[in-house]
Amino acid sequence: MSKIVIENVSVVKKKKLTPDCFAITVAPFSKVKSIRPGQFVHLQIPNCNLFFRRAFSVYSVNTEEKSLEILFKVFGRGTAAMASLKKGNRLSLLGPLGSSFRKPKKNELIGLIAGGVGFPPIYYLSRFLIENGFDPKKLFFFYGGRGRSDLIELARLKKLGLNSVLVTEDGSLGIKGLVTSAVEKWFLENKGSKVVYSCGPEGMLKAVDQLAQQYNIPGQISLEAPMPCGVGICLGCIKPLKSGGYTRVCKEGPIFEIGEIIL
Amino acid sequence: MTPDISVEIAGLSFKNPILTASGTCGYGEELADIFDLSQLGGIVTKTITMKPRDGHPSPRTAEASSGMLNAIGLANVGVDKFIEEKLTYLEKFDTRVVVNVAGTCTSDYVNLCARLNDHPRADMVELNFSCPNVDVGMEIATDAKLAEETVSKVKKVFSRPVIAKLSPNVTSIADIAVACENGGADAVSLINTLVGMAVDINTFRPRLTNNTGGLSGPAIKPVALACVFKVYKAVKIPIIGIGGISNYSDVIEFFLCGASAVQIGTTLFVEPDAPVKIVKELKKYLSKNKIESIRELTGKVRIYK
Repeated sequence: MSKIVIENVSVVKKKKLTPDCFAITVAPFSKVKSIRPGQFVHLQIPNCNLFFRRAFSVYSVNTEEKSLEILFKVFGRGTAAMASLKKGNRLSLLGPLGSSFRKPKKNELIGLIAGGVGFPPIYYLSRFLIENGFDPKKLFFFYGGRGRSDLIELARLKKLGLNSVLVTEDGSLGIKGLVTSAVEKWFLENKGSKVVYSCGPEGMLKAVDQLAQQYNIPGQISLEAPMPCGVGICLGCIKPLKSGGYTRVCKEGPIFEIGEIIL
Repeated sequence: MTPDISVEIAGLSFKNPILTASGTCGYGEELADIFDLSQLGGIVTKTITMKPRDGHPSPRTAEASSGMLNAIGLANVGVDKFIEEKLTYLEKFDTRVVVNVAGTCTSDYVNLCARLNDHPRADMVELNFSCPNVDVGMEIATDAKLAEETVSKVKKVFSRPVIAKLSPNVTSIADIAVACENGGADAVSLINTLVGMAVDINTFRPRLTNNTGGLSGPAIKPVALACVFKVYKAVKIPIIGIGGISNYSDVIEFFLCGASAVQIGTTLFVEPDAPVKIVKELKKYLSKNKIESIRELTGKVRIYK
């Protein structure tokens, strides 16, 4: 049986979270059960003249309804076309694609670091870990943005019952400053083994990557890149490896080890 | 009656006329997670060079109207690793394997094909005379004499069929095709990508680090059809049509203009299972039109006098 499938799905729910942020749920997708946190789907958006599919990280899944939810901010032509989808619209879904976050060890404190639109895979991972028996008290969710409006879905995050630290650059919500400063403070204040998982803008990921290496904390980051094919055959979405050569964000990634990629 | 969609190129039979084009299917491993490669007529591997290549830095692909620009730069694992790992991997599939090769000079092509001659899983070789994005192969693509000489030297070291893949970025593609035929090519495949460019108006930077790239996808199908049509009139060897094929009707068009088989390329990036669908649809089309074999359609376009 194929690991990756192409199926037609329908938009079953659409929520406008902020003027430019949307959550869309599509169903039915037969492989919902096999989707793991960090993986993505490649959507062919109807009624627009985009040639390629567009990649979206999975935000949540519902195995009973065979549905999956994606969360996105309007940035370019692809996300603008996605925002104009209506309930009932049909679209082709290719997935599940890419690598997923590995499970932490039971004794580790888990740092979950999300920046702005990097929220969906980190939220999904947090929820997945809690549903799979990890103690929410050991999960520390660091959520950073430029200002209050960058921090979306806070009510949903709160429901997970984990430790959350909100950070904004302008101080409009939570701690004022950079999310990495809050993470560094956490590194210093907590003894014992730790692991970090992060997704966000590349500048933030670079800072997280450096910080984790500096403190010798293992972990993984989720990268983003324009992906023509999403399945590893076009070789378009490459990033340089520290060990030399390139790697594919869509196939070996989007989840990479701390220190693996030249950012 | 089940229509016959098998074809024959240079004495080799193909279960259907659908091959995947070089550079759009890797070495088959990724597509095998989506469908059984044995459903393909054949797979044409990513271009192999003597030494491994990383290719150009990012960005090396860009979206275009009805297609894409790419300047990957022939990233590949090199011939040693290809033979050891990739060709071995392809053993388990019941499909033809065409190994695409490129080099900077005639002797590179000869050396590569001599190596591959010892590995019968390489049913055929396809000489990439036409990648517009690197300093390799292009000289041969545009020089009829050099193309003829290269084909004839490869023919001496490779005992199975040899295909020459042609560039549209030439004054007369038919002249190059004739030269390859004279050199002993068993077939020609066409077209490779058209040289193209795109620029970001905010940064003034080209959208590819190579500045220019190769245009592919549905945008180039009319150009490819005209090339096949011209070459069909000029040579006797079979033509494998390539360029923007995304459905069964495109395949029929290529056959009518002179193709004996086709390769699906950029479409795989949008619909990786397109070959499976196309094979089914082709059978339906032939049944509906009471055509016994797809082979009957080659060159049957009813041209205006």
